[in-house]
Amino acid sequence: MKRSVSLAAFLLLLVATVGYPQAPEATGQRGQRGERGARGQRGQQQPSQPAAPTPRFKDGTVNLSAAAGEKGFWNVGTTSVYGRGLPGNLTAEQIPFEPWAKALFQYRQATSTKDDPHARCVPDGGIHFWQLTNGVEIIQQPELNRIIMVAGHNHIWKVVHMEPGRVHPSPDVITYGYLGDAIGHWEGDTLVIDTVGFNEKFWFHRGGLPHTSEMHLIERLTRVDHDTLKYEATLDDPGAYTKPWSGGSLIRWQTTNYDGSPGGEIDEYYCMDNERDSQHFASK
Amino acid sequence: MKLRAYIAICFLACFALSAAAFAQEGHPLVGTWHGSWGVDDKNRNDVTLVITFTGKGQIISGVVNPGSNSAPIQKATLDPANWAVHFEADAKDSGGKPVHYVVDGKIEDIGSVHRSIAGTWTAGTARNNFKVTRD
Repeated sequence: MKRSVSLAAFLLLLVATVGYPQAPEATGQRGQRGERGARGQRGQQQPSQPAAPTPRFKDGTVNLSAAAGEKGFWNVGTTSVYGRGLPGNLTAEQIPFEPWAKALFQYRQATSTKDDPHARCVPDGGIHFWQLTNGVEIIQQPELNRIIMVAGHNHIWKVVHMEPGRVHPSPDVITYGYLGDAIGHWEGDTLVIDTVGFNEKFWFHRGGLPHTSEMHLIERLTRVDHDTLKYEATLDDPGAYTKPWSGGSLIRWQTTNYDGSPGGEIDEYYCMDNERDSQHFASK
Repeated sequence: MKLRAYIAICFLACFALSAAAFAQEGHPLVGTWHGSWGVDDKNRNDVTLVITFTGKGQIISGVVNPGSNSAPIQKATLDPANWAVHFEADAKDSGGKPVHYVVDGKIEDIGSVHRSIAGTWTAGTARNNFKVTRD
C-alpha cells in the first residue's frame, strides 16, 4: 500500500508506463488495455551524449515538433530515464483530496484501475492525454493562431487556441468535452495552456485521480533541449480537491516507430478497431 | 403502424444513446438513477432520482421524481468511508397528502458506471426497501 501510495504521486505516473519496472503493479496499472504494449520500447537509444539545443523557428519561437528534415514525436513511455515525476511532486498522502475523491482514488488503485474508461476506448483528456504510450505530436500553426496536439492513441487531437485576448466560454454555455476548451500563450519559452470545460466521462489521469467538471487545468510545456519536454500541470478542481496543486514529469523525444524501427512517426492506432484481446479485459 | 414502430425504434435508440452518453466518473452520486421502493416485491413505487453536485461547499442536491410532482432532495450526505448515502424529501403520496421521505442506503459497485444505491426508504412511518441504479 505504501509503495502504491508513494508512486501515485501525481502526474507522475506518467511513470506508470515504463520507467519503473515495479511501477505498473505498484500503481495498480496493468498496462493500457486496448493498446499494443508499450510503444517504442525496442530500439530505444539512451542518450549517450548531451542533447542538441532546443530547436526554434526563424522568429525565435520554440519548435515543439520536429525540426526541418527530422522526424519524431513525444512519448512518455520511451525510456527508463524519462517519464518519472519531477522533484517536488506530491505523494498521494500529500494530495489535497476531498474525502470522496480520496476514497474513490484508493478504490481505483486497489482494483488495479480496472474501471478506467480508457479500456472502453473513451478519449483520454487532461493529463491522461500525455500518458498514452502511443505518443503525441505537436503541430504549431501560428498563422492560424492555434497549436494542434495529436495523440497517437485513437488519433484524438486537441486544439490549443492562441488568439491574443481569447477567453473561455462561460460555464453555462461551454460545451463540456473530453479535451476541454484550451487557450494557450507563451511565457518566454514555455507554452502555457489553460483548459476548462472537461466532462466527467473519463479519467483525467491514468492512475485514477478523480476530477469533476469544475476542473481548471493549467499545463506548462517547456522544451528544455532537443530531446526533453518538461511537462508541468496545476490542477484547480474545487469539486475533488481542497486547493490547487501541481506536479510534472519529463517527456522524451522519440525518433523510432512503435516497433523500434527508425522513423519517428506515429502510426495509425485505433483502440476498438485494433483490439484483439477484449476477452481478457477486467473492466466492464 | 409502420410510423409507430419507427417512432418507437427511434425513441429506444435515443434512450440507449443517452444512457451511454451520461456515463460519468466524477462525484459518485451525480447522475440519474432509476428504481423502486416498497415494502415487498409486489408493492413497489417507481422512483427516479436526479442528483447534482456543487464543488464549492461539497453540496449534494437534486430532485426525487422530476416533473410536476417532484420533491427537492434535502439533507443529502455521502460518507466515503463506506459509501453510505442519506437524504430526505418532502413529497406527496398518491392521495395528495404530504409525506416525508427519509432514505438511507449504500452505493454498490462504486466503480461501475451503472452502480446502484440500496437500503431503506421510509415514507412517513412506513419502512420500505429500495434500490436505484444509475443510468
